[in-house]
Amino acid sequence: MNRALRRISLVVLAMFLLLLLSVNYVQAFEPSSLAVQRGNARVFSQQYQYQRGSILTSNNKTIAESVHVKGIYAYQRSYPDPLVYAPVTGYDSLYSATGIEKTEDKFLSGSDPQLTVHNLIDLVTGKPRRGATVQLTVNSAAQTAAYNALKETGLPSGAVALDPKTGAVLALASYPTFNPNKYATFNSAQLKRADNRYLKDPAQPLLNRAINQTFPPGSTFKVVTSSTAFSTGNYNQQTRVYAPTNLKLPGTTKELINFDNLPCDNGSNPTGNGKVPFIYAFTVSCNTVFGNLGMQLGDNAIRQQAVKFGMNDANLRIPLPVSASSYPPIPGNDPALTAYSAIGQYSDQVTPLQEAMFSAAIANNGTLMTPYMVQKVTAPDLTPLETAQPTPLGQTVSPSVAANVSQMMVDVVKQPYGTAHNTAFLPNIAIAAKTGTAQNGANNTGLDDAVFTCFAPVSNPQIAVGVIVKGGGLGADASAPIAVKIIQAYLASQAK
Amino acid sequence: MSVVATPGQPGDPAGTGPLHAPVHAAQQGPVPMPRGRRRTELAMLVFAVAVVLFAYASVGLSMTGRIPAGILGYGLAFALLMLLAHLAIRWLAPWADPLMLPLAALLNGLGIVMIYRLQQSGRDGNAGRVISTMSTSSTVLQVIWSTVGVAAFIAVLALVREPRTLQRYTYTLGAVGLVLLAIPALLPSSLSEVNGAKVWISVGGFSVQPGEFAKLALAVFFAGYLVAKRDVLSLAGRRVLGIDLPRARDLGPVLIAWGASLLILVFETDIGTSALFFGMFLVMLYVATQRTSWLLIGGVLFVSGAYVASKLFAHVHERVDIWLHPFAAQNVYHSSYQLVQGLYGMGYGGVLGTGLGNGQPYWTPLVQSDFIFTAFGEELGLTGLMAILLIYGLIAERGLRAAVAVRDPFSKLLAAGLSFVLALQVFVIVGGVTRLIPLTGITTPFLSQGGSSLVASWMLIALLMRISDTARRPAPQPIQEEGMTQVVRGG
Repeated sequence: MNRALRRISLVVLAMFLLLLLSVNYVQAFEPSSLAVQRGNARVFSQQYQYQRGSILTSNNKTIAESVHVKGIYAYQRSYPDPLVYAPVTGYDSLYSATGIEKTEDKFLSGSDPQLTVHNLIDLVTGKPRRGATVQLTVNSAAQTAAYNALKETGLPSGAVALDPKTGAVLALASYPTFNPNKYATFNSAQLKRADNRYLKDPAQPLLNRAINQTFPPGSTFKVVTSSTAFSTGNYNQQTRVYAPTNLKLPGTTKELINFDNLPCDNGSNPTGNGKVPFIYAFTVSCNTVFGNLGMQLGDNAIRQQAVKFGMNDANLRIPLPVSASSYPPIPGNDPALTAYSAIGQYSDQVTPLQEAMFSAAIANNGTLMTPYMVQKVTAPDLTPLETAQPTPLGQTVSPSVAANVSQMMVDVVKQPYGTAHNTAFLPNIAIAAKTGTAQNGANNTGLDDAVFTCFAPVSNPQIAVGVIVKGGGLGADASAPIAVKIIQAYLASQAK
Repeated sequence: MSVVATPGQPGDPAGTGPLHAPVHAAQQGPVPMPRGRRRTELAMLVFAVAVVLFAYASVGLSMTGRIPAGILGYGLAFALLMLLAHLAIRWLAPWADPLMLPLAALLNGLGIVMIYRLQQSGRDGNAGRVISTMSTSSTVLQVIWSTVGVAAFIAVLALVREPRTLQRYTYTLGAVGLVLLAIPALLPSSLSEVNGAKVWISVGGFSVQPGEFAKLALAVFFAGYLVAKRDVLSLAGRRVLGIDLPRARDLGPVLIAWGASLLILVFETDIGTSALFFGMFLVMLYVATQRTSWLLIGGVLFVSGAYVASKLFAHVHERVDIWLHPFAAQNVYHSSYQLVQGLYGMGYGGVLGTGLGNGQPYWTPLVQSDFIFTAFGEELGLTGLMAILLIYGLIAERGLRAAVAVRDPFSKLLAAGLSFVLALQVFVIVGGVTRLIPLTGITTPFLSQGGSSLVASWMLIALLMRISDTARRPAPQPIQEEGMTQVVRGG
């Protein structure tokens, strides 16, 4: 029987060899393909087994961090100042992510190839794996001021502040907003409830109004129309322009009028049929002047100028995706519609970011810097992985045209008759601005949107701001004070 | 063989030297006494217990950052238990194989540690809830079952002083085995079905899997029966394609075994047990008769039976389907969920594993019983699994070595059957969870949660050790007189 027994021994040996091969296959060769199969809860929850990187403001305030918790997930996301920074950080939940949490995920999670070596060293030295720290350009003083000011209005609104010289986003606020901490829960039922509540809320708290909702720019678009006019070489700020009280529009019985049907009169145009200096028309925001200018400049010229300011661009990433501000083609080059478009009505749409970009370009001698939010990314061992390099998005206008437009914007605040004098004039900070009060709704029955674009200080521009308050009424009344608060808060923080 | 060879001499580390060689004694001084290697066993046992205690501490450190408070109590209990087993061997089977107890102790201990670890993490990793079929006292229960197992181990060694005595109970044990197998099939499902397999006797929350004990009883029965009939069964009939076929009239036993295993398959929905019994019978038949034709006939019968069953019975067909298409959309959250989660666990563990307490084995349903192997794969990695497979392989091969060494044909057959059935059980469950073969739910010997399997495994080890003790026991020393220089023993 021993011969048979020896054979059986060999069979048993073969059986165990097969098993060894089988476990080798599963554990040494298959893991990468198993990891991407359906329903692999382990790989999914792996991201919560180590510390995800923090998100910091430019002045080192932590606005998103992972804290150690008990339970199957070792680390939970926490947002210390959730409402103020929600449109910036977004959220990182079990199932999805938004905002910087999404766009910088590869650094925060540590999966970026640049971090592979760090992770490997950590594995060998037994240190726990950690994600990289993402530092933003956002300034906590400006951001807090922006959110609080928007919240005071109680209206849907957005505000963006840029550093005109670099394009760095100093503030990016939206109201009403959401609490990203509600998305950090590991209880999927709770998560679903919170998400549903936000999704069904008619106030749309998840909408990032700073960059993902567009509004008619109203009179702030006169910055673009003026830039187009000055760039032709036929106009400067002292050029006297036709300023009727009522502008007859070709092909329609409608007439374009000024705000409250007032004449555009600096004292030299009492009949409302003469001419006023360009700068005066800009300072008091005469619709008839710019409507008429628009018809003379033509739809194409204005659109080309608008595109240079960043409009009609659906691909801007800061790195959050920005909705396109649009200056669509006028059907049949209709002059009447061109007149409306030239004063920021008809189909013109802009985001608060776009408003900030108008001022930023003018403030920076016509050079528009690409907006960006991520200042630098630092590995857990403090080696820098990425540092932002400011890059120009384009030359919107020549420096001399920029200087001309800038002087007009200064007058809007400085001159007692300027539209923003009452709300944006500060004795210690010179602000240059343009107001807008955009009509909307069917037959303009909706409440006016308050729009404001500005930069400061005029002599050495450090901040450009765009604010839109939906249904806020006059841009000068509703939006200008918000911009002023942001500017004051930011400059005060820089002065320290 | 002309060389003087004495069992257990230093040159023969395993101590399984040819026992049939004449023993030349007393020519160079005192008689060299063969060694039982009990001290080797004790040293390895200490090592095995230490590994288990380290594993236990490691679970606590990973999960709570502290060495578990129970380490003194559980540790002492486990060490004491194994020491008792060791002392019993010194007393009852001093010549037995020294490897078996440490290997079994290591597996048993690791199983307890894993069950503790799973009990700590709870269902879906939620410590407040318990994993299905586990309870807050699972670890304590497993320790109690280990105690019962070691007690059974000692009892078998004490009651069966000579393996040959079991031959007397061939037919009694055969009947007992069949009854044990049949009970779950005859009982109503409420008393016999747990998680779809009708293999239990379940009364008042207390469950026994009689099949685990039937395995031992039937191994004795097969050995006794085949020893008696092997001359007839090895008679050659017709010769086809160079293979001697048995006579048609001798096919009866094979057909009966085949039929019985098919009945288990159909009425107890248990492919694993079915394969186990038939495989054990075939191998013992082959060892008894040395006729390869029996293996071929049996193989053909089993494969054709399984094929037909997979066509006829939904539960068998499903097993094949999830084996072939585990990741298919219609399977992955349903029928193949358990298999796939087990694979994910092993994949997640990779080569080195996550470390005990750091993985997420709790996602796999029934991870504490049928799928405990994947939990080890996840947390100890490929490295740990290969070590565990080698431990099983060593036990099986040491068992077969005892079969080779023992002289009595009944003991030979019994050792072969028990060793092979252990190897086959590991093959079926590990092959199943790693997708080498279709998955069938049977326990992983020593590791899985559950008393029946653990106690039966300890009894199996006791039988193997008893046989190896018989094989390695030196012949009684004759009274030595001056001048009498040679004892020639028959063999």
